[in-house]
Amino acid sequence: MTEKMKWSKLYLFFVFILLYTPIFYLILFSFNEGGTMNHFTGFTLEHYSTVLQDSRLIQIVVQTLLLALLSSLISSIIGTLGAIGIYYVKNVRTQEVLLNANNILLVSPDVIIGSSFLLLFTIVGFQLGFVSVLLAHIAFSIPIVVLMVLPSLEEINPSMLKAAEDLGANGFQILWHVILPNILPGILSGFFMAFTYSLDDFAVTFFVTGNGFTTLAVEIYSRARRGVSLEINALSALLFIASLLLVLGYYYLSIYSRRMKKVKRGVAE
Amino acid sequence: MTETIVTFEKVRKEYDESTVLKEVSFQLEKGKFYTLLGPSGCGKTTILNLIAGFTEATVGNVLIDGKKVNEIPAHKRKVNTVFQDYALFPHMNVFDNVAFGLRMKKTPKAEIKTKVEEALGMVRLKEFANRSIVGMSGGQKQRVAIARALVNEPEVLLLDEPLSALDLKLRTDMQYELSELQKRLGITFLFVTHDQEEALAMSDEIFVMQDGAIVQKGTPNDIYDEPLNRYVAEFIGESNIVEGHMVSDYRVAFAGYEFDCIDGGIPSSETIDVIIRPEDLEITSADKGKFVAKVDTQLFRGVHYEIILYDQEGNEWMVHSTKKAKEGSTVGIDFDGASIHVMRKNESEADFYKRLDTYTEILEG
Repeated sequence: MTEKMKWSKLYLFFVFILLYTPIFYLILFSFNEGGTMNHFTGFTLEHYSTVLQDSRLIQIVVQTLLLALLSSLISSIIGTLGAIGIYYVKNVRTQEVLLNANNILLVSPDVIIGSSFLLLFTIVGFQLGFVSVLLAHIAFSIPIVVLMVLPSLEEINPSMLKAAEDLGANGFQILWHVILPNILPGILSGFFMAFTYSLDDFAVTFFVTGNGFTTLAVEIYSRARRGVSLEINALSALLFIASLLLVLGYYYLSIYSRRMKKVKRGVAE
Repeated sequence: MTETIVTFEKVRKEYDESTVLKEVSFQLEKGKFYTLLGPSGCGKTTILNLIAGFTEATVGNVLIDGKKVNEIPAHKRKVNTVFQDYALFPHMNVFDNVAFGLRMKKTPKAEIKTKVEEALGMVRLKEFANRSIVGMSGGQKQRVAIARALVNEPEVLLLDEPLSALDLKLRTDMQYELSELQKRLGITFLFVTHDQEEALAMSDEIFVMQDGAIVQKGTPNDIYDEPLNRYVAEFIGESNIVEGHMVSDYRVAFAGYEFDCIDGGIPSSETIDVIIRPEDLEITSADKGKFVAKVDTQLFRGVHYEIILYDQEGNEWMVHSTKKAKEGSTVGIDFDGASIHVMRKNESEADFYKRLDTYTEILEG
């Protein structure tokens, strides 16, 4: 028993080492005085100050965040309505077909989605730029939102919807007062998922971005191609810390809300 | 005097290939407590859904207050439902749950407040207004659901097995509360259940259902004392049902003997079912009883002993007695001729009541 436990712990440790070593390696060299990834010669914060002074880079960060925010917001709205639409399809086979059509978009390679969007925009004669990237991001985010919202829709007690109708609520009132408040957790997780997907998307963006507009992922790629600069390490380290903070914030928020729920329950008993 | 509130005119309901309701016709009068009683799948919930507007009749008309409502959607009907699983809104507190219907109708805020408080008072939950639904007990949730329906002042309140999820003690309490509430408010209640005790305890009238049709309508007393056939008798209460045959009017033979009874209008020597309720049978000494039987087993039920006996022909008899019997002993079974109820096989409800009327009158006169 204990022998087994030991091995499983060791295995877990190994897995996490494997996952995190490259990132820590990257972060370590962001403090390297030497300017290359070959030898660690001394500690410096120079690369960080370069990042913070690079106004182009800062602008790209803002652009990327704006893009992620807008695309996830819009795709949350469209995706939620889409999920409700699929939920209300009475015919089981049609429902399955719709769901599978949604999932195919989810698993199809980014390269295919990106190139097909490029093709579409070129044929239509659409100017490549912020809007084209936004449209593409919305498009690949919608299936994610649909997939996140559907389970919470299925958790809704159908007789609750019947009760709402029975109490005089029309279709819109049922949607607004009963369905939406109950699937809000699903919509929120769909939103965050879409946000992160948009934030770190490279392939699709790479295809449909024009001359004037670029996102962080594309920028890092093009800079990395030009040659290794530890500025990128510094930027990656900052991003890693930011996402770490996000995860921690989400964790404490969920603990807090769970505790609030418990307090409420305690009152009721 | 009595006004009809709900009318079913030859309503039939089919889902795909299967018929769940076959040409059902009935009327519900204002201010009465009705119960639809039957096993699951007999179509009782379908009747409820037809009145509430969740489903449409395939053939026939549903009328509420004299108006045909076949095409009127559920949210426009003056009918409210209490669901089996309560169907409360978990994201709202008690007050908001009850206020939901009024808010949907854009009732002024002040009026909502008074009406909701009144409704919560009716179900004795006034102090619970700000509580969350999560964490309430089953009985409390049930009462919120009732208040939520009643606050809309429906003309008919539909209750879909609302007590089935509660434990026995609470269920009995709620039976009292419901029937009291109904009497006080004067709203027509249509209660669906498969529990015969619930039906007997609360209803003004019971509709016993079987396979999508109403088998027998009547007051709890009528149905208990004079069940139409074996199905109704077995569904309502404990009963001893044995096969026998008519000798002549007011004379019936079963268990190897002939007895006086109060039933007539049946051709002699016709095979019939005889029912005697276990509480109408009495155990005496072997020489005093109307027939003898051997005590097989007995169970202590608290209020009484439930004793199972077998007569000479091998028929099983159940007796409810406050006195203990000795297992394996041979005893006499005594009963009053009036407690014998004779049921013809395949008799229609109309014929049954007609026969009952003619023959009971003669006897009483």
